[in-house]
Amino acid sequence: MRETLVVFRRELRSFFLSPIAYVFGILLVSVLLYYVSEGALQNGARASAEGLFATLPLMLVLFLPGLTMRMWAEERKLGTLELLMTFPVRIGQLVFGKFLACVVYLACVLALTLGLPLTLGAYGKLDWSPVLGSYLASLLFASSFVAVGMFWSSTTRDQMVAMLLSLVSLFVLYQLGNPQNVEYASDWMPAWLVDLVSGLSPHKYFVSIARGVLDSRDIVYFACFCGFFLYANALVLESRRQRG
Amino acid sequence: MIEVEQLAKSYGFARALKGVSFTVQKGEVVGFLGPNGAGKSTTMKILTGYLLPTSGRASVAGHDVVAASVAARRCIGYLPETTPLYGEMRVDEYLRFCAEIRGIPAGRQRAAIGRAVERCVLQRVLGKNIVELSKGFKQRVGLAQAIVHEPPVLILDEPTSGLDPNQIVEVRTLIEQLGKEHTVILSTHYLQEVEKSCTRVVIIDQGRIVADGTQAQIAAAHGGAALRVRVRGPADSVRAQLLQLLPPGAPLAAEGGGNGVTTWRFGLPSAASEFPAAVAAQACRHGWQLLELAVEHASLEDIFRKLTGAKAQEAVHA
Repeated sequence: MRETLVVFRRELRSFFLSPIAYVFGILLVSVLLYYVSEGALQNGARASAEGLFATLPLMLVLFLPGLTMRMWAEERKLGTLELLMTFPVRIGQLVFGKFLACVVYLACVLALTLGLPLTLGAYGKLDWSPVLGSYLASLLFASSFVAVGMFWSSTTRDQMVAMLLSLVSLFVLYQLGNPQNVEYASDWMPAWLVDLVSGLSPHKYFVSIARGVLDSRDIVYFACFCGFFLYANALVLESRRQRG
Repeated sequence: MIEVEQLAKSYGFARALKGVSFTVQKGEVVGFLGPNGAGKSTTMKILTGYLLPTSGRASVAGHDVVAASVAARRCIGYLPETTPLYGEMRVDEYLRFCAEIRGIPAGRQRAAIGRAVERCVLQRVLGKNIVELSKGFKQRVGLAQAIVHEPPVLILDEPTSGLDPNQIVEVRTLIEQLGKEHTVILSTHYLQEVEKSCTRVVIIDQGRIVADGTQAQIAAAHGGAALRVRVRGPADSVRAQLLQLLPPGAPLAAEGGGNGVTTWRFGLPSAASEFPAAVAAQACRHGWQLLELAVEHASLEDIFRKLTGAKAQEAVHA
């Protein structure tokens, strides 16, 4: 645990020391707020932060790979991975520490958008439960994407490759759970198949939590999803020890 | 302190290590010599737990590097060949991170870092970002990182490569000091470095150990010595007399002369300490003027080239 925290602190610090993190944060927040302000702040609009959270998943698909691509690939390229892996720390602790740091960083970025619901709440009557649910859903959703991005980053020393692989897989995952696609597929595919395929995608569970209904199964899903990719991540690093 | 038994490592089809065995006692400073690609770094990476061996076993301070990897890593300070550092961190932040992740209790961290900083003379650059430092300072930060937890074993992979001559002397002096308190394995291309700072030499070539021992032992086993004789006298008769002294087939070469002076050089069988006296006696008997009589021990460089160079040539032709 202590080792995980040490890795977490260093990684979080490096997020806030690197320009990428600021560019990423500012870009994400401005794009989100731009889309939102188009609808939410017009005269007569309903006080709701739905627009924010409807845009968020796609924004994360587009922006997250740029953030996670460096997480292992850069360490490998600079050789610091060799140092990390010769510290008296288990690989799982390294993986989890890094993951946690990235999630906390994203929580900070998400917190920057709080201005929107606060403004809406001040000038209109805002139902806070879906808003809070959406923030939780966003964080869980982002975490699952971080786990995927980190996994791809561990497989290569080339950040560009890691980014492209993450981008493609996140986009596919996003589309699998996209409510419109699910609806379309239900017309011609057997229901069990639709459930199975869309059930793989974090997007589906994001939609479910964002409604403001907290179901423990959704939380379990996210835990399993992240756990799976973080474990795969550790396996990749471990196998590198074997292969050299 | 370090035990390595029949260690082998393959990268795909390439066999980097083919059964390497050696032990290092507490307090030794062992120099790892070998041409590029001989397996020095691979051995070090296995000892530090970065790579797993394909077969064989190794232990550091009694901990198996595979079965008890974390415990073994706790006993090691490691400076990889490329001196990887987090450039965006300040020197003091970086050393604190290393101290923390090495498990030094919070109360002792300051003292531990202070000691490492003092030993590596980093006081002036503590507040600087690592990326701004010169190569020599980066190397010292890497060394400070390796000693901050006072490990019993230090593993340094080419600690002086790429430094300028002044920096090399600095780092070498530092390693000599560290050798007084730690068991050290260092790899290097600079043979003087081994001659100066190591108590023992392991020469490795193509994944195998080709020589292991103190410099004197290795010289005796592989190098032999040469006797250099400079005499003023009739060259033909000197040559005939010297040939009689030598065991049959021993190399004898005249190295030029002039004014009736010739320098002769011949390979000395290792257990042949009476030869200089015999040569001197001959000189007296025949009335040569003996201008110089010297036993030349093979330098580590000669031995290194002999043990690793010839085989490399064979490999090229094979």
